[in-house]
Amino acid sequence: MMDLAVRDIRHDLGRFVLTALGLGMLLSIVLAMTGIYNGMVVDATVLPDTLGADLWVVQRDTKGPFAESSRVPLRLAERLRAVPGVSRTRSYVSFNVQRTGVDGRVQRFMLAGLSWPDDTGDLLLLAQGRSLRAPHYEVVVDVSLGLPLDAQLSIGRDVFSVVGITSGMVSSGGDPMLFVSVADALNIQNDLSNEALRLEGEARLARVRRSEYGRDPASLARAGQPRLPALTPPPVNAVLVDVQPGQDPVALRQRLEQWPDISVYTLEEQRALLVRGVIDRARRQIGLFRTLLVVISAIVMGLIVYTMTLDKMHSLALLKLLGARRGVILRLILEQSMLLGLLSFFVALLIGELLFGHFPRRVLVADSDRLALAGVVAGISGAAGLVGLRKALSADPNQVLAS
Amino acid sequence: MTEPARRTVVSAENLSKTYGEGALRVEALKPTSFEARAGEVVAILGPSGSGKSTLLTILGLINAPTTGSLRIGEVQVIENALPRTSLERQRRQQIGFVFQRSNLIPFLTAEENVRLSLEIDGVNAYESRKRARALLENLGLDKRLLSLPAKLSGGEAQRVAIARALIHRPSVVLADEPTASLDSGRGRQVMELFRDAAHAQGAAVLVVTHDHRTLDLVDRILEMEDGRLTERARAPGVGRSPA
Repeated sequence: MMDLAVRDIRHDLGRFVLTALGLGMLLSIVLAMTGIYNGMVVDATVLPDTLGADLWVVQRDTKGPFAESSRVPLRLAERLRAVPGVSRTRSYVSFNVQRTGVDGRVQRFMLAGLSWPDDTGDLLLLAQGRSLRAPHYEVVVDVSLGLPLDAQLSIGRDVFSVVGITSGMVSSGGDPMLFVSVADALNIQNDLSNEALRLEGEARLARVRRSEYGRDPASLARAGQPRLPALTPPPVNAVLVDVQPGQDPVALRQRLEQWPDISVYTLEEQRALLVRGVIDRARRQIGLFRTLLVVISAIVMGLIVYTMTLDKMHSLALLKLLGARRGVILRLILEQSMLLGLLSFFVALLIGELLFGHFPRRVLVADSDRLALAGVVAGISGAAGLVGLRKALSADPNQVLAS
Repeated sequence: MTEPARRTVVSAENLSKTYGEGALRVEALKPTSFEARAGEVVAILGPSGSGKSTLLTILGLINAPTTGSLRIGEVQVIENALPRTSLERQRRQQIGFVFQRSNLIPFLTAEENVRLSLEIDGVNAYESRKRARALLENLGLDKRLLSLPAKLSGGEAQRVAIARALIHRPSVVLADEPTASLDSGRGRQVMELFRDAAHAQGAAVLVVTHDHRTLDLVDRILEMEDGRLTERARAPGVGRSPA
């Protein structure tokens, strides 16, 4: 039996291709939504995944730096290093920075501190350059920040040299990440201007004058001398703990949980916190939007196949008059619907290949997502075909005699 | 006339069709019996609304009769108004249709339109192509095999439609005003084609027509009026000699 579906398509190929292009664009948005959804999850978890610590030790009764403010003493890393079963500890600090670049554009990024020299950034996804080799004034930046190697970057009152460029290292908000040593990060975070230092000194002198020490001229003289404002090192956000090979991280965690000043989370818990907590609403919103798009695609495709069937009602009535079996009509309608779906699917894939890389945030489409979309398109095509088929089977052979 | 040409290929007995009920009841076709033999070309005349189309749809197994029986070829298709076999299959194998407009499928070429009648009955592509080409060449359409219907003239399209109706060697060809949209010369050509085909294939051709210019080419004339079918007596020497 000749292929009626293909012959009908061939007869009006331009219209069919344009229809498939339109539908393909719609499906490409479904694919983009899936990719953005996946990208958000990867973006959110790329940092803990890359750092790869077994345990995250944070301020007691907090969820850690990805969820809320967490401050632990810098020396906590040394205390933890002394615990049996711990192979390495790293201090962790991160904060968002928004500044105006030399070109006048607003730059927003997340700055993270690496526990130099224990962690120089060797685990980062370096695309160019190298990790940190000095404790100060070197920075590894993500490629999405747009800076070349050896560029000079001014943050706070210091100038950093770009020594390495990572690829895909972004925060859960999609901002590029920058890595400096913990010491530099703390300096930037706690830096005070000269005026702030002067005012702080004035305030200290006034406090001494109001106290009983103000009656002692020697005390007053000491309070008025310029000196560093902080006597203790500033806190970090967390300490990352690597467990020795063969040691059970859960058992170690249970031991550490008995310390009154800290809470401990596994890597999986931190990941879950990011996925279910930090990006949960955006994730659900995109998921719902994607579902809505699938429904819209199904409706649009159903209408297209229905219209294509309406255009052929006379031919279908003639086929019935000539005694064509239902299978002939069924094949004609369903095959066209499937071919439309297939072409639209490949158009969607092509659009994805060409455009998704230029999106401002990571769009991550896996083979399983393409396969799932193929399944969805097959389902939609089948359902649309059934809509058309219902109409097709109602074609009345009398119509041919009446015409 | 050869022996097979004398066979009765259509036998209708008390066929009638009624629409509606009670006060709205309309008897579109009064109980009608007639026969058509192989090789015969039979014209059915009658004014609009006389029941010609109703008769045609019943003979074409599109609509069911209210009463009566119908035999086509060797098959008792309808008995006491009930189908005795697959009407779809009988339409596919035993009946050919020709209409006022060619009613070709617009997305198929002339050759494909003709092949369709064979392929929907399971004939393979090679065989259907061979037979369709041979028939279309016989009808002088060898240069138009690959033309789409939109590219054919009215006469060419109607010849393709006739080829489609004949390709599967049906027992009966039902033609509804096949010459109405053609000029006199083309109309006669079409009727001559029917006559030749009826002879060559041993099929009965029933032609519903208003075209009196071609009645000399038919074997019998049936007249329809108010749902009743009667045979018209013919003047000696007019039309073809009886088979």
